[in-house]
Amino acid sequence: MDQHVPSRRQFLTAVGNLASASWVALNWPSIAAAAEPMQHGHHAMAMGDEAPPTAITTLAPSEAADVEAIAGLIVPSGKTPGAREVGALLFIDNALGSFFKDQLASFRKGLGEFQAGFAQQPGVTTPFARAPEAQQTAWLAQVDKTPFFLAVRRLTVLGLLALPKYGGNKNNMGWTLIGVEDNHYWEPPFGYYDRDYPGFQPYPGTKPYTA
Amino acid sequence: MPKTFKTSEIVDFVVVGSGASGGIMARELALAGHSVVVMEQGPRMAAYEFEHDELKYRNLSGITNNPATNPQTFRSDATQTAKQMNGRNPLTYARVVGGSSAHFNANFWRLHEIDFIEGSKWGPIEGASLVDWPITYAELEPYYTKVEWEVGVSGLAGASPFDPWRSKPYPMPPLPVKSSGVLFERGARKLGLHPFPSPMAINSIDYKGRPPCAQCGLCGGFACEVMAKSSSVWTMIPEAEATGNCEVRSESYVFRIGMSAAGRATGVHYFDKNKVEQFQKAKAVVVCANGAETPKLLLNSATNSQPEGLANSSGKVGRYLMFNKGGGAMARFEHPLNEYKGANVTRILHDFYDSDPKRGFYGGGGFDARSGGPLTWGQSVPPGTPSWGQGFKDYLESYTYWMNCSGHGTSLAQETNRVDIDPELKDAWGVPAIRVTYKDHPDDIKHAKWQVERAVEIMDAAGASQIVPGEVGAASGGVHLLGTCRMGNDPATSVIDKYHRTHDVKNLFLCDGSSMVTSGRGQPTLTIEALAFRAADHINRFAKANAI
Repeated sequence: MDQHVPSRRQFLTAVGNLASASWVALNWPSIAAAAEPMQHGHHAMAMGDEAPPTAITTLAPSEAADVEAIAGLIVPSGKTPGAREVGALLFIDNALGSFFKDQLASFRKGLGEFQAGFAQQPGVTTPFARAPEAQQTAWLAQVDKTPFFLAVRRLTVLGLLALPKYGGNKNNMGWTLIGVEDNHYWEPPFGYYDRDYPGFQPYPGTKPYTA
Repeated sequence: MPKTFKTSEIVDFVVVGSGASGGIMARELALAGHSVVVMEQGPRMAAYEFEHDELKYRNLSGITNNPATNPQTFRSDATQTAKQMNGRNPLTYARVVGGSSAHFNANFWRLHEIDFIEGSKWGPIEGASLVDWPITYAELEPYYTKVEWEVGVSGLAGASPFDPWRSKPYPMPPLPVKSSGVLFERGARKLGLHPFPSPMAINSIDYKGRPPCAQCGLCGGFACEVMAKSSSVWTMIPEAEATGNCEVRSESYVFRIGMSAAGRATGVHYFDKNKVEQFQKAKAVVVCANGAETPKLLLNSATNSQPEGLANSSGKVGRYLMFNKGGGAMARFEHPLNEYKGANVTRILHDFYDSDPKRGFYGGGGFDARSGGPLTWGQSVPPGTPSWGQGFKDYLESYTYWMNCSGHGTSLAQETNRVDIDPELKDAWGVPAIRVTYKDHPDDIKHAKWQVERAVEIMDAAGASQIVPGEVGAASGGVHLLGTCRMGNDPATSVIDKYHRTHDVKNLFLCDGSSMVTSGRGQPTLTIEALAFRAADHINRFAKANAI
């Protein structure tokens, strides 16, 4: 797997976005020095461009429907996007078909047991994905310590927060959800508490010194 | 065009490994006029090829030893059968030109004077081998300074009342403080402690042709795309190549050291990038492959005359494996810290560096304020927080309000903790794989738990609205790979002498984390690099005197 393009694109975008920042004026020679070798590599990076997956190719439709339903309960939709909106299912399907393919068999086995167990619950008449939410959450509460559920949970979080090229985090919605802006360059203040930092105050008996 | 050598040429030195120590060793030997070939297992990557891909680097072994191709086994004691761990290796290191200096956090603490004499200071500790180093802080101090100026370190000299003496200040001012640093400093000062700007191997200004930190926020586990981090690949390796005497041969996996009947190293056997076996002739070999790969290479290089492994007449090769045990706490605050921005660490404290018998156990360390990437952070929740549903989503949305107060401390050397060769497992090249045997010393556990308590106090004093004490579990691996070919004056109890020459093979030298006699308190890379400058000075001296 060779997936370099997003960082390349993000880097150049970041440099461009800093046009008005005072930090640029102070550090422009350095930025230019850093950017130069990246430009040398532009062709190679472009060659490696990969679009995010857009279709389910690993899981069967019934499997995909149930996995998406589980993911949607782990990070629910609402006022802000949840697992469904960020495309966590696409990530999970892509992962199980490629870099996590060794886990596909055990994942399928776990999913089968999950589905069979759900079907035996009182009052259940539909697959998990089409069941009323009360039935879904009641069943998840029973199985949320199982290896299968933990695997879906892990994959859902990865699908929420990994780079969009892997299929999830559509339009960086996952990062937006947790308050992360997509940028390669920052300057202080970084957060609330370092805005008014008065500077380091030496301790009695010490004499800090610089070159 | 960088110099290249034919395998049939007898070069002056082969250096195995291109990381923190290998890069310095290559540069210093090449500057002295020696012909040098550096062998690196991993590929050579340009700055633009590194990316902000937490999945790739944290979960998919993007530039680290991959459990699928470089597997290892683990057991906690010798009575057990070692097994592969689920999806990970116990010992992790970067497999790329620059080695682990490419992906480290770049915390650059010096050891203190006490670190070199703790055997004398504290005496024997049951179950441990706490001994003095054969060198002192005073002997290493010039080389610490050399690293800071030649490689590039930012910091504020004299800021900590607990700092060891130094001959020069840092060449660069400290990096800008983050919110985590401000809060850490606020809490620690309230408790009467002495936090100070963290020394970091990251440029804070233009230095040696490299730019200042872009504050992208992803240091640990990631290589630096702007070359602000003072990794070997951006610092020492280019300078070694610029001499015209050094070739860095990437994707070249050394699996055995060649030996003559007379007991001298003749070069290295390695697999090239096509997995074809090659042999590079050399007058001398310097192994800088890290605390896991160096003992593995020696043990896999056994000969008829050295059947227990090369340079292993003491039986100590691979023994005394140490990590840096520690404990800390995670804390939430009222307003966003945005810890995903900025270099990982900006404030540390060393008030608790020394061991104190009043605590009832051996151990000391330092604390810092730091953060983790969002993808890793989101994988776990504090006790009492829902792991799915709206409550979990609420927790995810609080990411920018959290920080870590992390303790980094000692691990006692124990003879039973070791790297050796698994009797069955082989890697993707057919090379016998590493087996790790490790169990924490009881004092290491006690100290880590004590650190958790201090971290909670600091975060409470800082005004945290929620504090999650860290859990102290049994160590099952690490990234600070230390002590496995320890330095010493006695050939019966150590592998290398104080000049990094193996006691058993005159033209074989070792220099990396394996050389360390004690663990220090975390952040060993500066010491490894100082040792490399010092060792290179002595190796050059020996070469000049025709004493290799």
